[in-house]
Amino acid sequence: MDLLFFKIALFAYFLSTAGYTISLLAKRVLPARLSAWIFLSAFLLHTVSLLFRGVDAGLNPAANLHEALSFFAWAVSGIYLFIQSKTKTKVLGAFVAPVSFLLMLAAAGGLGASLAVPSVLKGSLVTLHIVLSIIGEALFALAGCAGVVYLIQDTFIKHRKMTGFSRILPSLGDLDRINHLCLLLGFPLLTLGVIAGSIWAGTVWGSHWNWDPKQVFTLIAWLSYAVLLHQRLAIGWSGRKAALLSIAAFLVILFTLIGVNVMFTTSHSFV
Amino acid sequence: MNLILIGMNYRTAPLEIREQLSAGCGGDLRSLADIRAIAQVREAMCLSTCNRFEVLASAADIDAAALGIKAFILMRSGLLPDQLEKCLYIYRDQDAVKHLFRVASSIDSMIMGEPQILGQVKEAYRRCVDQRASGVILNKLLHHAFRTAKRVRTETGIANNAVSVSFAAVELAKKIFGDLKNKAILLIGAGEMAELAARHLVRNGTKKIIVANRTYDRASDLASLLHGTAVELERIGEKLQEADIVISSTGASGYLITKDMIAAALYRRKNRLLFLIDIAVPRDIDPAAGEIDNVYLYNIDDLQGVVDGNIRSRAVEAEKAEAIVDEEVLRFSHWFSSLEAVPTIIDLRRKMEDIMEGEIEKSLFWINSLGESDKEKVRMLVSSVLNKVLHDPITGLKEASQNSGAVLYIAALRKLFKLDGE
Repeated sequence: MDLLFFKIALFAYFLSTAGYTISLLAKRVLPARLSAWIFLSAFLLHTVSLLFRGVDAGLNPAANLHEALSFFAWAVSGIYLFIQSKTKTKVLGAFVAPVSFLLMLAAAGGLGASLAVPSVLKGSLVTLHIVLSIIGEALFALAGCAGVVYLIQDTFIKHRKMTGFSRILPSLGDLDRINHLCLLLGFPLLTLGVIAGSIWAGTVWGSHWNWDPKQVFTLIAWLSYAVLLHQRLAIGWSGRKAALLSIAAFLVILFTLIGVNVMFTTSHSFV
Repeated sequence: MNLILIGMNYRTAPLEIREQLSAGCGGDLRSLADIRAIAQVREAMCLSTCNRFEVLASAADIDAAALGIKAFILMRSGLLPDQLEKCLYIYRDQDAVKHLFRVASSIDSMIMGEPQILGQVKEAYRRCVDQRASGVILNKLLHHAFRTAKRVRTETGIANNAVSVSFAAVELAKKIFGDLKNKAILLIGAGEMAELAARHLVRNGTKKIIVANRTYDRASDLASLLHGTAVELERIGEKLQEADIVISSTGASGYLITKDMIAAALYRRKNRLLFLIDIAVPRDIDPAAGEIDNVYLYNIDDLQGVVDGNIRSRAVEAEKAEAIVDEEVLRFSHWFSSLEAVPTIIDLRRKMEDIMEGEIEKSLFWINSLGESDKEKVRMLVSSVLNKVLHDPITGLKEASQNSGAVLYIAALRKLFKLDGE
């Protein structure tokens, strides 16, 4: 049952991505409005799929790569839809929906994987670690998306190209606020997630920190965000620089999530 | 018609060249006198605004006049001939009339339908009249232009579509800030255009307004009008820190705001976005300031890009306006052709009378033998024959001049009767 809903959701994410793309190409807001509704239904279908999965496999939402990516996509979509309901921006979704779709596509790759969860990954602390980290990272993903759109819009306005394309993109002020808000929320969540993981690691491996490549890269990403947040709050960084750093920091996160597993041997091999 | 219009506008010439031209041969009194001094030029008017520089002249030989006016512009602006040639447009006769009507009606404006241009044309005409540089043709032409502009304004919607720099500025401000509430505006220079833009921003939610002007009284007048505060021009450096939107429109000749001033202000305001609008020509704000992160600098040409997006909705109204202009151009042409018929009729009569006098002169030897009353009768006879002969051609000419066929008749008549001499 969860697989069926997963597949329908995947297709809905694809439809909404296509709709948003048309909106961007045609420079019209209407297709984006429709796509936003499709995006919402994709998210709801996805939620149903996760619920079925949860009933089958227990409460752990991210026991393997497939589940982690799927949960990541779900968090990104959910948080974006929440932000969208609070602002007037519709077209930002054109940059978020593809992210959700690609994550889902990657998740679909590991679709047939066993549901059996290694015993080491059982326990509420692990669940907390995974949920908090992924939601934090989803917020950072959105901050990165807002950053990318900010850079595009900034380039348009800076070079006095107020074309139809620039007209349908959100304003710089709104994008900067979204970026700021996502960082502000994402940072404590990731921090708590890392702490939860560290406590749990202490109980299982006997050491809170063991210089695992995944841990190292997470630390780098965490430090980048710490710097960014400090610059934003204390020095008043905003706009271009903040957008650039939030994109760079998210690339580190992305590498931590996917690249590390491919290039290094890590005790975090499950995800 | 012997009318010629030479000029350049925001479409044909970049801001730098227009600046040079308006500095060199702008509205000062000597320019008009110098243009009038060009051989061939009978009447002349000079229109110089931020967006255009145009010379309108009526001349005996328009090609010769064109050369003279070009030479004048070259000399005064210091531009290279190639440079100038690329930017200039030349309209003759009917095309010149049409262009003038389009300009006065604000169809040709950078921001179509903006109201300032008509005032600027009127001002240019007033200067031209003051210096007695206008004559029958320009007087008629300009009044006709004002009437056309009025018709376009009342009969079409091009002026309603929120138009002027202010509209473009507000749209851009929204794209930058999102929400305009709690944003502060700094007006530098208390001109009409700046006031308009500020009013537009206030209508969109901005509350705080600071006005700086060279004469403090004017600044405080405008500030009280807009419920803002006034400051001296020297204090704009510190006020840049508070303002989010800066609209500069002074008549200063150099840069009033440098890149360093902006960089310093940005540091003090913790990099919050800053939107600079420079509608002054020559410019008030160093263009290099636009390179700074989080600073968005738009000059009067850049606003064109914003306006382009709104043009589609105005296309229908513009078409109506063009139709009115065409109609009025035709009317003016009618008037003009009748004007050309009148001197021809006078010339024709004079020639006939000369012949009559000549023949009477020749026959004096026998006329003198007649009595006084008979002499008078002979004169009356010849004169009435003359009138009868001339009656039909002259009424025919007057009629023809009402439906634009007059030019051919006049040409034929002048040739047949050798009215232009040998």
